[in-house]
Order: sequence, then C-alpha cells, then structure tokens
Amino acid sequence: MRVVFTLNGRVVEVDVEPSEILLDTLRLKLGVKSVKRGCERGECGACTVLVNDAPVVSCLLLTVQINGSSVTTVEGLQSDSLFMELASEFGKNFAVQCGYCSPAMILTSYAFIKKVLENSVKPSREDIVRAIEGNLCRCGTYPRVVRSIEKVLERRAKAAPQI
Amino acid sequence: MVIKVVEDPRAIIKRWLTAESFITVGRSLERADSMEKVLGRARFVEDFFEEGFLVARIVLAKVPHARIRRMVYDRALENPRIYRVLTHRDIPGENQVGYAIPDQPLLAEGKVRYYGEPIAVVVGEDPDSVNNAVDDVVLEADPLPVLYDPLEAMERRDVLVHEALGSNIAFRTKVRKGDVELGFSKADVVVENTYRTHHQEHAYLEPEAALAVPDLENRITVIATIQYPHLGQRIVARVLGIPSSYVKIVAPYVGGGFGGKDDEGPLVAARAALAAYHLRRPVLLYYTREDSIQTHPKREAAVVKYKSGASRDGRLTAIEVTIVHDTGAYANRGPFILWRATMHSSGPYHVPNAKVDGYCVYTNKVPQGSFRGFGNPPVQFAAEAQMDRLAEKLGLDPVDFRLMNMLRPGSETITGQVLPSSVGIHEALKKLAVESDWRIKRRMYSESREGRFRRGIGVAVGWHGNSTSRAVPDWSNSYIHISRDGSVSVYTGIVEVGQGSPSSSHRQLVAEILGCPIEKINVIFGTTDAPDTGATHASRGTSVGAIGIVVAAGRIRSRLESFLAEYFNVQREDIRISGGDVVVGDRVRMRWEELVALAYSKGVDLSATGYFFLPKGSFNDEVGQGFAYPVFSYIAVVAEVEVDTYTGRVRVLEVHPALAVGKVINPEAVKTQVEGAIIQGLGYVLMEKLAISEYGRVVNDNLTDYVIPTAHETPAIREAVFVEDLWEYGPFGAKGVGEMAFIPMPAAIANAISHALGVGITELPLTIEKVYSLVKQVVG
Repeated sequence: MRVVFTLNGRVVEVDVEPSEILLDTLRLKLGVKSVKRGCERGECGACTVLVNDAPVVSCLLLTVQINGSSVTTVEGLQSDSLFMELASEFGKNFAVQCGYCSPAMILTSYAFIKKVLENSVKPSREDIVRAIEGNLCRCGTYPRVVRSIEKVLERRAKAAPQI
Repeated sequence: MVIKVVEDPRAIIKRWLTAESFITVGRSLERADSMEKVLGRARFVEDFFEEGFLVARIVLAKVPHARIRRMVYDRALENPRIYRVLTHRDIPGENQVGYAIPDQPLLAEGKVRYYGEPIAVVVGEDPDSVNNAVDDVVLEADPLPVLYDPLEAMERRDVLVHEALGSNIAFRTKVRKGDVELGFSKADVVVENTYRTHHQEHAYLEPEAALAVPDLENRITVIATIQYPHLGQRIVARVLGIPSSYVKIVAPYVGGGFGGKDDEGPLVAARAALAAYHLRRPVLLYYTREDSIQTHPKREAAVVKYKSGASRDGRLTAIEVTIVHDTGAYANRGPFILWRATMHSSGPYHVPNAKVDGYCVYTNKVPQGSFRGFGNPPVQFAAEAQMDRLAEKLGLDPVDFRLMNMLRPGSETITGQVLPSSVGIHEALKKLAVESDWRIKRRMYSESREGRFRRGIGVAVGWHGNSTSRAVPDWSNSYIHISRDGSVSVYTGIVEVGQGSPSSSHRQLVAEILGCPIEKINVIFGTTDAPDTGATHASRGTSVGAIGIVVAAGRIRSRLESFLAEYFNVQREDIRISGGDVVVGDRVRMRWEELVALAYSKGVDLSATGYFFLPKGSFNDEVGQGFAYPVFSYIAVVAEVEVDTYTGRVRVLEVHPALAVGKVINPEAVKTQVEGAIIQGLGYVLMEKLAISEYGRVVNDNLTDYVIPTAHETPAIREAVFVEDLWEYGPFGAKGVGEMAFIPMPAAIANAISHALGVGITELPLTIEKVYSLVKQVVG
C-alpha cells in the first residue's frame, strides 16, 4: 500500500505492507535510525516519534494509519532552537548515559515543553514526571531529564513578559 | 639537562597519584558523547543494518529438561526466503562457551537444560519470514525430571542437570577464620536468620544483537552488544575454529549492559558469526525482548543462612554463613559470583571468627549471571539485616553499632587480608549520619509508629572488591598515539555501555597527563583493534581500565619532558605543559601543537602502550584464607520510606549516599552512576520479580509484566558524600563506582521498612502484597 506523510518537514511516499509498523518503515525503509526498537509492544517508549506534535510509540502504529500526518523525529529538529536548547541542557545536566532511550526521551520532553509554553501554564515537578513516565530509562537518568526540562522552562519563564 | 625517561608503570602511576593540582581531573566536564546521543547520531548495533543484509534469530527450547532426539525444520525451509537453520552440527569449531566451567554449548547438543535455551539459528532474507520460520523449528525430545529448587537439587543424585559431574553442585567456596564456636561462646547476643533473594532481569533498553560481516580467508568482523570485545573474539574464534587474530569485534555504543551483555554478548556474537560463516553474507542476528528475557542469564537468586554474634560492648564476635546460589542450567559466571559473595559476606566489618560456605547449584532454570553487584547485594542484604537485629538486641543505634565494628586502615578482613590504606568507609558513614539527620529522624520515626502512613529510616553499608576475585589475573592496557597535528588517539578495549568512562574520565586523564587541549583527544573504544583492556564490568571501566591510559600517557609525557629538558637545557621543574600551553623556563613558550611538531622533527616517539598487571596475592582454598582483592570500594546509604499500612504500598522518599571510592575524576558522572544504581536497586527491591512457571518458563518475558522503575518511582536522591580514600594503583587514586550504590539498596530499603513497621525482613522482593502481609503481622 502506498502511504504519503510528512517526515521531518518533507513529504515522503512509501510502499508498505498493511501490517507494517511505523517503527519498521522508519528504520528499515526510510533510514531513520534515531528511533529505537526496545520492546515492540508499546512499553518502553524507545521508539517514540511525534505525530502531529504529540509523542506516540511507533511500534504500536501501523504505517497506513499515519497517512496524511506529520511525523517528527530528532533528525528533523536539529535547527529548532527550543529543541537544541533542551539538547544542550541534557548534555550539561548529564541526562544521557547509554543513550538508547535518549532520542525518544528528548522528543517526549520537547513535546511537553512546547505544549506548556503554548498553553502558558506552569507545570509542577509532578507534571513533568508524569510527562516522561512512559519513557523507560534503565540507566536511571530520570532526575536529570526532569532537571533539564526545568532549566529550559525556568529560562523561558524569565524571558517571557510578566503579565 | 638530561632527565631519564620514565617508562616504569609503577613510577608513572605513583607520580600522578601524588599530583596536587589539577586542570581536568576532578571537574564535572560534560561527556563527549551526550550530544551525539540526544541528537540520534550515536550508532548502536542494529543501526548498522543495511538493505541486502540477512537477518537471523535464535530458536529457543520450549522444554525445561529433555534429551534431544532430533530437530525437524523442513517446514521452515519451505519458504525460499529462509536460507538456513543452523544447529550444533553446523559448528565448525568447539560447541563450548562456558566461562568458568566448560559446561555450556553455544547451541543445545544432546540435552536441553532450561526453557529458553538456544537450540538453533534461523537465517533468512527478512524479519517476517525469519519470525515465522522460528515457530516452524520443532524439537523432538524425551522429557527428563526437572529441578527448580536449589536446596533440593543439592541433595539429589538421581536427577542431574549435568550427568558428567555426578552432582548438581557446580562449585563450592569457603572461608575460615579463627574459631567460630569460641566466637559464639563470647557473644552476648546471637541472631540467626535465613534470607532469600530473587532473580533480576537486566531490562537494558537495547535488546541483544550482533552484525557479522564475513571477509576473505575466513576472517570475520562482528559488531555486537558486548562488554568485552576481546572475550567475544576468543569465543567466536573457538566456535568457528579459526585463530583469534582472524576475528575483529567492535562494540559500538551499547544500549545498557549492567553485566547482562558481558555474559550474553560473546554468545550473540558467536551465533551471528556462525551464520555469516555459512552464508558468506552479512547477517544481523537480533533478540526480541522475549528472546532476551527468556534466554540470557539473570541476577543471582540466593539463599543465605546467616548467624552472627556480638558482645555486650558492641563488638562482633563471630559469623557463620551459608550461601546457596541457584545458578540455573549452566555455571556461566556462577563460580566467580559465588566467590565474590563469599569474600564479602561479612560486610565491611572486622569479624574475628568467621566460617562461610558457598554452593553454586544447578537447576533447570535460566542461568544466573553477571548483574551490577555480582553476588554482593544478597549477602549485604543479609549481613546488614543482621547488623540491625544485633543492634536492636544490644540497645545500640544501628549507625553507632556499625561504626564500632567498621574496617579501618590496617584492619584485617575475614579472609585474613590486611587493608593498609584506602579504607574510607568509617569516615563516610560518620559524615552521612550527620548530613542525613539520621539521629533525629530515627528517633522521630521510632516514636510515631501509628496511623495509616508510617515512616522509617534505614541505613546500610556495602563494600566491593575492585578487580577480579582472588588471584585471577587482571590487567590494564591502552595504546596512545599523537598525530602530527597534535591530536591524540586513545585506543582502549573498554566499552561505552552508559557509564561514560571513554567519553569522560578517559579524556580527562589524558588531558591532565599530556597537558594537551581536551578537545584534541579522541577515544577509540570497544574494539579488538585496541589492546586487551579486560572487560567493562566489575566497576572497572575507569578504576582498572584507565590505569593503562595513565601509564601510556605518562610515558609520552615523560618522553616530552626529557626531550624539552635536553633540547632547551632546563630542569624538569622548569617545564610546564597544561591545557595546551607549553612553558619551558622563563623564555620559551609554545602551543601544544608546536611541541608535537618539534618532537616529531627531533625523533621523539609519540606513541605508547600502557600495560599494567595488577599485583595480587594468593588465596588458599584448603584453609579458606588469603588475598581477595587489591582494594575495596565502599558505600553507605540512608533510605527513608513511607509505608501505607492500608495497602502495603511503599514509597521511598529519599536516598542519601556516601561513597569512599578514591579519587573522583568527574563528580557529576560519578553521581549519575550512583543515581542509576539507586533507581535500579529500588526496582529490584520493590517492583521487579521474575515469574517462573511450573514448566520452567519465564512468564513475564516482556516489559508489560516485568515492571521496572519509571520517573514516577524515582526517589529524591541527595547530594552524595565523597571520601577520597586514594588507591595506590588507581588512576590518580580512583576506585570503582558503577555497581556501588546498588549493593546496599536492598538492605537499606528493607531496614527502613523494618523500622517503619517494627518487624524483621528476610525475603525479597518487598512487593505490595509482601509488605501488606508484614503489616498484618504487626497491626493484625
């Protein structure tokens, strides 16, 4: 079946099997290697991508389901200033160990921050923890991921005009 | 001036051990690999897969114990996209991969010994075809009686997991010190309990995989999820019957290991290599999550019988310990794990009389293997629960009682080894007690044992010998080469498995010693193209792994100094090379790059290896005394919990660690290891439990049913206390860190829950049901 969708800002057309999962299409057909295979049942979050800006695990999506959607992976965000600011906080705060979950973890974090900024809300630490709860990290980088998100939010809050 | 070039490893290690001011060492410099990892550029094994490569999977036995009649796979081969089904008959070399004992085949031969044992490898053109073919491989076998309980297996002679051995006891250990009967006769209080701990699944986010690429003349390259490339090389060579030098192993970025990929990595590599050997094409062999959980070795499940006594003045008088490890179907690293458990069973205390016996026992279960702590967490859990019970009976505070018995410089361990220096645990625990408000909280929670939510605070300490146990040879090595542009290539066999040694400490050490700009350094890690550096396990990535880097860099530094002294006719004190600046006397200044160019033009050798063989003593198996480890790392943690007495749910509120791990090369990097181990330890104690069915099958072979901690379960982790008790051979005095914080976690949480509820705990995991039953014991 032919599926057409936007991948990192570019329209792609790809022939897929009806049962093909987005994870396989991305990794095997489109060369997107940042999306990782971890469990293939939607538990670990390592294959997270953004579909229309919302984090989704690509192992539980059939590629045919994303026809007409917009898919974003870290490959497509490397000139996005908010994303790069967050990436730099991940580095500074040692929020990366083995790195296998990192592209997915930062995508989820990025989507959360974007939503928070769009809605001008002030999330609690608990909100941040909830946001990244679906991304497993066996190295235990969680406290530092939370800290990285907080740093970006703090900076943005300072930069934002006071109402 | 002529300065003699120093090439002697010990002299070099000593020079940098006594260094007093630092440029890069001791600073929390950002890891060199964090950006490429978050930006998705870091490549893991499966990322090297390209179109046209073949794919392979292992076929697992679905019986726990059986004699193999034959394997039928005609149906699998009916699909033209399936090229081969490989069994033990296809192994050109030896079908033998046991690490400690030659008891384990790469692919089952003769017998199946556990449900999940690899029996064949299916190779085909695409994952779907291979997945289907895996189900079409049929094992015809006659079932044999099964053994699941190690205590039963120890006694049985009629059912044997390995007939040739004549017993199900794979290995025994013992320690004997003083006279335990005399020791117990001097005790005013005696505590005796049997402790039970459970398996743990590593659940690294990246499942095992290996990509094997055949070359001409039987040479082969394997890119694998592995923690010791040179061991993988040896195993692949043995299985294929070719020289090791024909095999190249590369560990790219590895998505977590925690010991699991140290055991399974070489086997995955060998199975992929076998497929590529026969098909003459690149083959990616990958494990599904289910394959991974079913087949690879797990954390030791232990039964620890522990009797200890103390006198009224608060001194330990004797311990008597029996450790039984359920090693499953194969010994794997079981004997080494048992050694470690045995040597550490006292905890870091002075115990004048000790009798310890260990048994590594076969059963028909998934094998026991390496996992952060390597045999140590169960014995520390037992030892530290005992310490709390003894303190209670003596009316002493648990911290005070520990401090009274704690090892100090000059103390002797239960194996009779005297520890002259680098024993900082006493100081670490003292400081921790102050910083964690131990006394106030302990009293406060003791006095408020009522209401629905009850708080408790527990303390536990741990120690962990650096390097391999006893006299097992261990060494470090590296190769450093400076290019003409002044850039520095560092080759090490250490793997980057998340701990960050190649991307942080290694670079910092080289920059410190050579005095070059740190961004000029490229560490080429995880490859058999580097000298054999030993495994990235046992917390040794920096502590032992980087000694070779210190030696190699120290040699080059010494040559440069000698050259400058002679060339400019100055003394060594007149030479400063640091941060890329070179100052010679008061008139010569140059950049690092200029120094390198000059050295090249004047015939200075700017490449060096850094071999260092760790000095060790010997251990006498007959008398159960002797040398155990070159040095120990130490840790203490205080944990605070809140128990919901209505449900049994435990929340770990706070964990406060203190470490005596020698020189801290990169404090933040070390803290990440501590935090990761705390979270993994919390999961082990409260959440994780491998369920094995009556048929020997791991039932929860996925991350839905095997639950590991998320951000939500992560407790507040306080700033670590560091006591820098330098180790004479460590890089700038560094000791091992990676495993440390896991080791006391079971005991710390269990002791805190004990404190909250006022009840002793002897069995893990402390699941909600278990804690609820403890609550019932107390509250009714």
